[in-house]
Amino acid sequence: MSNRNDISRRSMLKVMGGVGASLAIGIFPTISCAADPKKPGVVFEPSAFVKIDPDGLVTVTICRSDMGQGVRTSLAMLVAEELDVDWKKVRVIQADTSSKYGRQGTGGSSSITGMNHSMRQVGATARAMLVAAAAKQWSVDPASVKTESGNAIHPDTGKTLAYADLTAAAAAQPMPTTGILLKDPSQFKIVGKPTNRVDNLDVVTGKAVYGLDVKVPGMAYAVIARPPAFGAELNTMDDTAARKVPGVLDVQKFRNGVAVIASNTWAAISGRDALKLDWKPGPNVDVTSKSIREKLVATLIDHRPVSADAKVVEATYDFPFLAHATMEPMNAVADVKGDQCTLWAPTQVPNGAQGAAAGVLGVPPANVNVNVTLLGGGFGRRLQTDFIEEAVGLSKQTGKPIKLLWTREDDMQNDFYRPTSHHSFKAALDGSGNPTVWSHQALQASGNPGAQFRTNGLQYTIPDAQMRFGGAGVPVRTGPWRSVEHSLINVANECFVDELARAAGKDPFEFRKALIHDERLKTVLVLAAEKAGWGKPLPKGHARGIACFSGYGSHAAHVVELSVVNGEVKLHRVVAAVDCGLAINPKGVEAQIQGAITDGLSTALRAQITIDKGGVVQTSWTGFKWMTLDAMPVVEVHVVPSTGASGGMGETGYPSVPAAVANAIAAATGKKVRKFPIKISELA
Amino acid sequence: MPLYKIKVNGVQRSIDAVADMPLLWALRDLMDLTGSKYGCGIGACGACTVLLDGAETQSCQITVGEIGHKSVTTIEGLSKDGSHPLQKAWVEQDVPQCGYCQTGQIMAAAALLKRKPHPTDADIDETFAHHICRCGTYQRIREAVKVAAGGSK
Ligand code: FES
Ligand code: FES
Repeated sequence: MSNRNDISRRSMLKVMGGVGASLAIGIFPTISCAADPKKPGVVFEPSAFVKIDPDGLVTVTICRSDMGQGVRTSLAMLVAEELDVDWKKVRVIQADTSSKYGRQGTGGSSSITGMNHSMRQVGATARAMLVAAAAKQWSVDPASVKTESGNAIHPDTGKTLAYADLTAAAAAQPMPTTGILLKDPSQFKIVGKPTNRVDNLDVVTGKAVYGLDVKVPGMAYAVIARPPAFGAELNTMDDTAARKVPGVLDVQKFRNGVAVIASNTWAAISGRDALKLDWKPGPNVDVTSKSIREKLVATLIDHRPVSADAKVVEATYDFPFLAHATMEPMNAVADVKGDQCTLWAPTQVPNGAQGAAAGVLGVPPANVNVNVTLLGGGFGRRLQTDFIEEAVGLSKQTGKPIKLLWTREDDMQNDFYRPTSHHSFKAALDGSGNPTVWSHQALQASGNPGAQFRTNGLQYTIPDAQMRFGGAGVPVRTGPWRSVEHSLINVANECFVDELARAAGKDPFEFRKALIHDERLKTVLVLAAEKAGWGKPLPKGHARGIACFSGYGSHAAHVVELSVVNGEVKLHRVVAAVDCGLAINPKGVEAQIQGAITDGLSTALRAQITIDKGGVVQTSWTGFKWMTLDAMPVVEVHVVPSTGASGGMGETGYPSVPAAVANAIAAATGKKVRKFPIKISELA
Repeated sequence: MPLYKIKVNGVQRSIDAVADMPLLWALRDLMDLTGSKYGCGIGACGACTVLLDGAETQSCQITVGEIGHKSVTTIEGLSKDGSHPLQKAWVEQDVPQCGYCQTGQIMAAAALLKRKPHPTDADIDETFAHHICRCGTYQRIREAVKVAAGGSK
């Protein structure tokens, strides 16, 4: 075990104090007060984001939510790099919603692109103050002082001072406002090195605290019986049996459902099971996945006409709704006392949660303090604050601290789903098989009518390329899912590009390569093809598919190798190549790509949310099927070495995966993929 | 409510629970052992996995009334300080992403290694076929099991 983890563990224990009921409170220490330069052994805390203790321990405060993307690690690496400290001496704590951290929100793969510079600045500023303090002590020019591994060094005289011994003097230095120089990437010692996550030891010992693990004194447990369909309303309720369930404290109507309050989770769940509820079906009872698709298709218009001598290629693709299905279902703990509220929540948007809670209570946001726990997955679901508002409302209504649990069924059936969509394509090829016209109508069924696809454009040079975005409002809540609209648009585009290549009688890799206008994207495409042995002979029955995607400042390409045996897809190998600029933590980048591949395979072949009678059909993992280890192919990730600007990595790795699967299936079967998830029996 | 005596991580615990309370909720709510996670409650994800007399068991699928004299090991009891070879391998291979499923994965691996100290890929496939990792850490899970078993790397 690494020394760093020993330290992070030790300090964690130190702040935790007791166990059990005090766990949740103890694990969110408030930041220690500002340094007092007169006292010996003071803490050097030049900003809200970093402090150095007199024992040399460096604490970095992270104001982005970690939902598995490793941002607590990568952002701390940036601070440690510029500060020039030993990574083993760094520990990480999570910011609260004090305004000193600025507005907090984690999504759209923006943490690295948005925070890279400022976190480095935090480290470099602290370093400058330590250097100034050492220079003063030695009466030398600060420019002649170097730093390394938590020490200030004066090479001319051989003098060395540990940061630990400089905390008081550094705290007395004025905060420099200009002239802070950031390192040249060639000098990086921490950034760019494969680094394990700071939370690993806590995770593998079961000590990591997720939202569902929070316990506060006097807390009651709640679950909510929710309408079976969107827009259904409660008609009558008989709670006699529910109230008799041991441990049930109360049953209360709450919003459009019924809340069961209990002394433990099981009592709350059993109480809910014992409720006799009669629901008015509401206005959406006839809504089904089929009716939604028909509504979308009805909004199609004619594609533009193409010249008579061109070869015309047409295709349609349909994508289902998808749940986020985070491993940890939605939950929050809220403690409303008078006009004050404390929240413990796995949220991607601490300030959004604060505002939402304040809205429920009718108090200023400053009256709400949000403690961000670890997140058992996010994928965009925890950008929403519905579950937080419920916990706050229930705490207010019951006068108790409330831990609200969404069961898996609640979570699966009350998501903000990745929209379902219908895509219609028409393209024209000239005599030499080059595309001259490209027309794509992307129609999205959205819970927020008016929401339209956005896109960063077609990644291929085609003289006359048009996209029309449209769709229809539906009574199903929708929201961002990994790679947002690109999970639809770019997957469809990449399937259609393959169909064009086939119609032109060209190799899909060469066809793309000739048309891609971004050099970095072309490089990853070529790399993926090379590593996958594109064009080399395959075992009998095996086929390859390729696809690529640029977005969020990064580029990705995938080659999938599979075979189709007895109507079943067998996945053999997935090769990914990515360019995300400078990979701050290559291990983190690899993990994100591996995760995106799992998402891509799951949604290409297994997972979907369907609607019937105005509600969601799937209730759990049994219906919303995800990849498991035994079905995974060999996965290889190749990261292009780069010192360029770091791009996001949470989303970019997704869209080309389902497309490469579809293209490989088309190659294996000679049939056309029209619908996701792909069922071999449905291929035409 | 009746009092049940259950041996958890080598310690005899008395808990006040209804007989049909799944072990998972007894561990989490009544014993403050929150390392075992809730992911579905229907035996479909493996996040709640513990050992019952050393065998892999989904704690959401067994009730406190059914445990009897069997002894329960949770992630908190696998080692005092994360020094179990599997925990070390998990840290070194940097397996966790969100981490939520990982305690269940590790407990499944612990049961596997107890049965088969040198598991084949097929053994690993079989063991993890009922464990979901929504973040997709499967490659590293496989590697970490092999490392802990003294295998590759
Ligand atoms: S919570 Fe027990 S198997 Fe999912
Ligand atoms: S690490 Fe997130 S679910 Fe497995």
